[in-house]
Amino acid sequence: MIGFVLRRLLQLAPVLLLASTAIWAMIYAVPGGPIGAIAGDNANPEQIAAATAQFGLDRPVLVQYADWLWNAIRGDFGISIRGRAPVLQLIGERLPATLQLAVAATIVSLVIGIPVAIASALRPGSWLDRVLSGWSALALGVPTFWLGILLILVFAVELRWLPSASAYVPIWENPIGALRNLALPALTLGIYVSGILARFLRASLVSELRADYVRTARSKGLPERQIVGVHILRNALLPFVTIVGLMMANFIGGAVVTEAVFTYPGIGRLLIQAISTRDYPLIQGCIVIILVLYIAINLAVDVLYAYIDPRIDYR
Amino acid sequence: MVDPVLSVRGLKVDFGGEGRSVPVVRGVDFDVYPNEVLCIVGESGSGKSVTSLAVTGLLSETARVAGSIRLCGIDVTTAAPETLRKMRGSDVGFIFQDPTTTLNPVLTVGRQITEGEVAHGRLKKSDAHARAAELLREVDIADPEGRAGQYPHQFSGGMRQRAVIAMAMAGQPKLIIADEPTTALDVTVQAQVLAVLARRQAEMGSAVILITHDLGVVAEVADRVAVMYGGRIVETAPVAEIFASPRHPYTRALLRSIPRIDTSDSRLDPIPGQPPIPGALPQGCAFQPRCAVGQDRPICAAEDPALRAVGENRLSACHFAEELPVAPLAAEPRLHAVAAPKKPEPLLVVDGLKVHFPVKTGVLRRTTGWVKAVDGVSLSVNPGETVSLVGESGCGKTTTGRAIMGLIRATGGSIRFAGQSIRDLDRGSMRKARRQMQYVFQDPYASLNPVLSVEDIVAEPLRIHGLYDEMGGARRIAELFDLVGLSRTMLGRFPSEFSGGQKQRIGIARALALQPKLLILDEPVAALDVSIQAQVINLLQDLQRELGLAYLFIAHNLSVVRHVSDRVAVMYLGRIVEESSRDGLYDLPVHPYTQSLLSAAPVPDPAVRDTRRRIVLEGEIPNPASPPSGCTFHPRCFRATEICSAEAPAFERYLDLPTRAACHHAGPLDGRRNAFASGAMETAS
Amino acid sequence: MKKIASRKLSILGRLLASKGSALALIFLVGITLAAIFADFLPLNPVGQKLANALKGPSATNWFGTDELGRDILSRVIFGARTSLVTAGGAVMIAALVGVPIGLVAGFFGGWRDAALMRFVDVLLALPAILFAMAMIAVLGRSQAAALIAVGLTGIPSFARITRAQVLTLRKRDFVTAVEAFGGTATYNMFRTILPNSWSPIFVQVVVLCSVAILLEAALSFLGVGVPPPTPSWGEMLRTGKSYLHEAPYYAVLPGIVLTLTILSFDVLGRALSGLLEGHRDPIIAPKGEGATP
Repeated sequence: MIGFVLRRLLQLAPVLLLASTAIWAMIYAVPGGPIGAIAGDNANPEQIAAATAQFGLDRPVLVQYADWLWNAIRGDFGISIRGRAPVLQLIGERLPATLQLAVAATIVSLVIGIPVAIASALRPGSWLDRVLSGWSALALGVPTFWLGILLILVFAVELRWLPSASAYVPIWENPIGALRNLALPALTLGIYVSGILARFLRASLVSELRADYVRTARSKGLPERQIVGVHILRNALLPFVTIVGLMMANFIGGAVVTEAVFTYPGIGRLLIQAISTRDYPLIQGCIVIILVLYIAINLAVDVLYAYIDPRIDYR
Repeated sequence: MVDPVLSVRGLKVDFGGEGRSVPVVRGVDFDVYPNEVLCIVGESGSGKSVTSLAVTGLLSETARVAGSIRLCGIDVTTAAPETLRKMRGSDVGFIFQDPTTTLNPVLTVGRQITEGEVAHGRLKKSDAHARAAELLREVDIADPEGRAGQYPHQFSGGMRQRAVIAMAMAGQPKLIIADEPTTALDVTVQAQVLAVLARRQAEMGSAVILITHDLGVVAEVADRVAVMYGGRIVETAPVAEIFASPRHPYTRALLRSIPRIDTSDSRLDPIPGQPPIPGALPQGCAFQPRCAVGQDRPICAAEDPALRAVGENRLSACHFAEELPVAPLAAEPRLHAVAAPKKPEPLLVVDGLKVHFPVKTGVLRRTTGWVKAVDGVSLSVNPGETVSLVGESGCGKTTTGRAIMGLIRATGGSIRFAGQSIRDLDRGSMRKARRQMQYVFQDPYASLNPVLSVEDIVAEPLRIHGLYDEMGGARRIAELFDLVGLSRTMLGRFPSEFSGGQKQRIGIARALALQPKLLILDEPVAALDVSIQAQVINLLQDLQRELGLAYLFIAHNLSVVRHVSDRVAVMYLGRIVEESSRDGLYDLPVHPYTQSLLSAAPVPDPAVRDTRRRIVLEGEIPNPASPPSGCTFHPRCFRATEICSAEAPAFERYLDLPTRAACHHAGPLDGRRNAFASGAMETAS
Repeated sequence: MKKIASRKLSILGRLLASKGSALALIFLVGITLAAIFADFLPLNPVGQKLANALKGPSATNWFGTDELGRDILSRVIFGARTSLVTAGGAVMIAALVGVPIGLVAGFFGGWRDAALMRFVDVLLALPAILFAMAMIAVLGRSQAAALIAVGLTGIPSFARITRAQVLTLRKRDFVTAVEAFGGTATYNMFRTILPNSWSPIFVQVVVLCSVAILLEAALSFLGVGVPPPTPSWGEMLRTGKSYLHEAPYYAVLPGIVLTLTILSFDVLGRALSGLLEGHRDPIIAPKGEGATP
C-alpha cells in the first residue's frame, strides 16, 4: 500500500515540479518583466531600482528560482503586491469558503446525478431515458454563469427569497444563513456537474447491464432489485468514485466562474482579482495551492480506488 | 416412460424491432429426460444458444418467443416473471461459456455461489460461507474454505469454470444447461471440467443440455444429440447412431469435414459455401444450397422439410433421409506412413531461441524477474514441409512464431533462414529477408485493415516493397484471388463484407503476394466455423503442393495438427518437450505431457469413449514468471520422481526412434504403441 | 473512394433522420451563415443611441437594446463570429498539437510516451478555466490570446483520445501484419493507424467545439477574454448581469443563443459518436477537461 502511494507520488511529483516551474517562469514572460508588474508601468528608475533590490531581482535567474522554490516548499509565497499581506494568509482566508462550496455542490450533484443515471439506465431508449438524457445534456450545455444569472433573476430579483450576492457564512456558526448563501451557487455548480456524473454513470451502468455476469445472476434466480443494487451498482460505482473525486478537485479552483457570478469570496475570485491587478506573487500562490490540492485529491482518489476494487493489487 | 424434465414444442424466437424481424429459432421441438445428457450441436448462427436462453426465459426483451416450453411443469412462455425467477436457480442451473466474464469481478466467489440459495430462502446468510466451501470441495477445488473468500480474478480459468459448475449445482436443479462450457479452456483443463461435470451430474441425477460446436465433446459426453442448422433441429438421435449413420446430409457432411485425431489422412471433404445468416435464409430447406443430396431437387428448394421419424428414437428433417447410405462413416485405421528419408538443406533453422520479458516491480519499476515466454526452442523446417508447434495457451508457441518473424525481439539463440542469420538484422536487410517468409494470423476479423479495399490489402506488401508494377500490378492481385479461390468480382469490396472463411483466404492471398518460401500460420483455422475449417485446410494443402511452400503451423487443435503436419513439436512453458515425425508422435508419444495431451483430446467417436481411459492432469499451466524447478512439468506429471524437481532433463533422442524428448522418464505408455488403443492406461496420480 | 464518399453521405443522412441532430445541424448552419454574412445583413452592432438605452424587445430591436442603446441582436450575431472564430481556431490548435502527440506517444511507447504524456499531465494539472486565465495573464488580453489559451486546454483531450485509439489499434493484427511484410513504423503510423483513427478524432472535434465556445464565453464573462468593443457573448452576459433589475432580457436572450450553440455541438457530437463508433455517449473527458464549473 505504501509502495503504491509512493509510486503514484513519484509519478505526480514531476508534474507538480514542471507546473510550478512554468508558473514561476510566467513572470519572466510578461512584457516588462516582473519589475514592470511590481513597480507599475509608470515607475521611475529609482522606484525600479528599489523594487529590484527589494524583491532580489538583481540576482541570477537560477538563484531566484531556487530561492522561490525553496520558499514555496515551506509555504512562503511572499507578500501580495497590492494587498501587502502574506500570500498564504490571503489564501488561507478564502480556502474554507471554497471548500464549503465544493462540498455543498458535490452533494447537490450526487443527489441529482445518481437517481437520474439509474432511472435512465434501467430502460435504455425509453421515453424516461430520453427525457433524463436530455436533462443531462441541458445541465452540461447551459453555461454556469448564465444559469447563475437565471437563478438570481428568479430567486433573488423576482421572488426575493435568497440573496443575489453570496457571502461566506461558516455552516457550523449559522446553518440557516450558510444554506441561504450557499443555495444558489451550490445549485448552479451542482446542476452542471450532475450532468457529467449522470452521463458517465448511465454509460457505465448500461454497459454493466449487458455484462455476462448479469445473465449469470439472472440464471440463479436473483431478484432484479438485488441484481441492480448489488451486482451492477458495485461495478458501475467503482469508476464513478474516480469521476466524483475529479469533480471535487475541479471545484477547488475551477469554480471561478460561479464565484464570480455570486461574488462569493472563494479562491477563484481571489485569483481573478490577482490577475486583474497583476499581483504576481498572489497569482503564483493561488495557482500552486490549487495545484497541490488538485493533485492531493487525485492521489486520494487513486488510493481509494485501489482500496475498494479487489482486482487492483496495490503492491 | 418417465416424464421429460423439459419439453419444447414449436419454439420460435424472433429478434429485432418493428418492421424488420429476424427469425433466429424457427420451430424447434425436443424433450430432455431426467439423468440424460442432450447435446445440441451447431455452428455459429444456428440458434443453439438462443434456444437454451429461451427455455428459461432469459432472453432480452427485444426477443419475441412463441411456442410452448414446459420446464418441470411450468409453462415458461406464459409464466409470470416471479415464477420464472423462482424456477431459475431451483429447477434449472446454468453454466456459460467464458468463465472470465460470467462471474462478477467485485464479489467473492463464495458469495456468488450461494447467493441464489440465499435469495430463494433456502440458506441462511450465516451458513453461506460453509455451504460455499462445501460446494467448492465437491468440484475438487483445493482449500475450499480459503477459496470461497477470494475474488474471481484470483482463480485460474479452469477453477473459475468449476466454481460456475458449483454455482449451477447449488440448488440441486433438475436441469442443467451448459452453453459451450469448455470452449474457452485448454484441452487438459477441458478434460478436468468435463470430468467434474459428468461426476456431479451422475451424483445428482440431473438432466443436462450441453451446447457445443465440438463433435469430440459430443461424442465424449452425450447420451442423445440434436443437430441444429439455420434455426432448426435437423436431426436427433442417440449419440452412437448419429456418429455411425447420420440421417441428415448436414450431419453427415459435418462428420466428414472434420479432421480426426484417430483416422486416415485422406483429404477432408468440406461443406461448400457458408453457414446461413439468420434473416437471409435460403428458400426451402436451409441446407439445400450446400447439400450434396438435394442440390438439384426442386422440392428441397421449395419446401422446408418437417422433422420426422426415420427410425426408432431418430428424427430427421430431410426430404430424402432414406437415401443416405446406412453404412457407417469410414473410421479407417490410420496407415503408418513411411516417411521418405530426404535430407535437403533446411529452410529455417532455429537454435536455442529465447524470448524473455522483464517483470518490473516496486516503486522504481526495476526489473526483478523475467517471464521466460520462450526458453530455448530449437527447430528446423525443410522446404515444402509442414512443421507444427502444438501446445496449450501460454506455452509460448505464438511468441516463438512472432520472434522468428522478427515481430518480437528475441533475447537469445539464433534464427537462420535460407542459410542466413536473420536475428538482429538491421531494418533494410530484415525487410528483404521478410519477403521470403510471411505470416498468417489467427483472427481474420482483426488482421485486415478495415478502411482498405481487399484489393489494396492484398497489394499492400507489394507496394511496401516497391514491387507492385514489377510483379504485375492489378493482374498479379487478380491471380492471387484466383489462387485462393475468391472471385475477382470481389476485388473492390471492403473486409466487413466478407465472411470469416473468405477473410482468411484474403489473409492467405496477402501472405502469398511476395512469393514467399515459408508461411508461419498462427492458428489459421481456430476462429472459423467447423464446416469452414476444412475448406481452409484443403486450400493450404493445395497451395503447399502447387507452390512448394514450407509451413510452420502453430495450433492447439491436435486433430488439425495431425492432419496437416509432417513433423510435430509439442511445447510446454516455453520449451519443446517432444518432437517427432507426425506419426511417430501421435502413435508412440514418449513424453508424459504429450501422452496426457493426446489422451485429453476428445475423439469424435462415441465407440471409443467407454474403452479409452483418460489421463486427467491435475492443476493448470503454472505462471511462466515463476516456473517450477527442474522439469517444469513435474508438479503435474504422473511419472515425476525426485530427480524431476531437481534437474531439468535434456532434450535428446529417444532410443532409435525419430523422436526427441525432454524427460527423465521418457517411454511409451504401458509399452503400447497406440495411445488410442483400447484398454486401461495409467491414470494420473 | 466512391464507397467512402457514399459512406459520408449516409452518415449525414442518418444524422438528419434523427430530429434532435437535424435541429442541431440546422441551427449551427444558420448561425454560421449569419456570422459569415453579418456584414451584409441590416445590422448595426456599434451604433450608439443613448436615448434608446435599455429598451426591451421591440419590432426594430428584436432582442432590445443595451446600456449604450446598441441593438442586442446585432451584437449577438457579430458575437457569434467572435465565438465561432475563437472556438474553431482553438480546436484546430488543440487537434494539430494533440493528435500528433497522441500518435507518437501511443505508437512508440517507452520514453517518448512518458515524456509526452507528462507534458500533457501538466496541461491537465489545473482546471481548464484557470489554465486559460493564467495563459492570458501572461499573453495579455486579446482575441489571439483567448484563442491560444482555449486551444492549449484542448490539447490533452486530443492527445489522450488519439493515444487510446493508437494503443488499441497497435495490438490489432492488421497493424502487426504490415510490420510483418516489412512496412516501416512511419508507414504504419500514417497509412494504417491514422486512417483508422479519424472517427474518434472527428467526434472529439465536434465535442470540443462546444467546450471551447463555453470556455471562451466564460473567459469573456470574467473580463479576461476577447476585449471590448468587439462584441462577444460572454462580455454581453457580464454587462447584462449588472442590469438584471432594469433589463432582464439583456442577460437572458444572448444566453439562450449561447446555450443553444453549445447544446447543438454537444447533441451533434453524441450523435456522431453513436454513428461512427457505435456507442451513444462519447467518452467523457476523464479529467473533467474543459469543465468550467
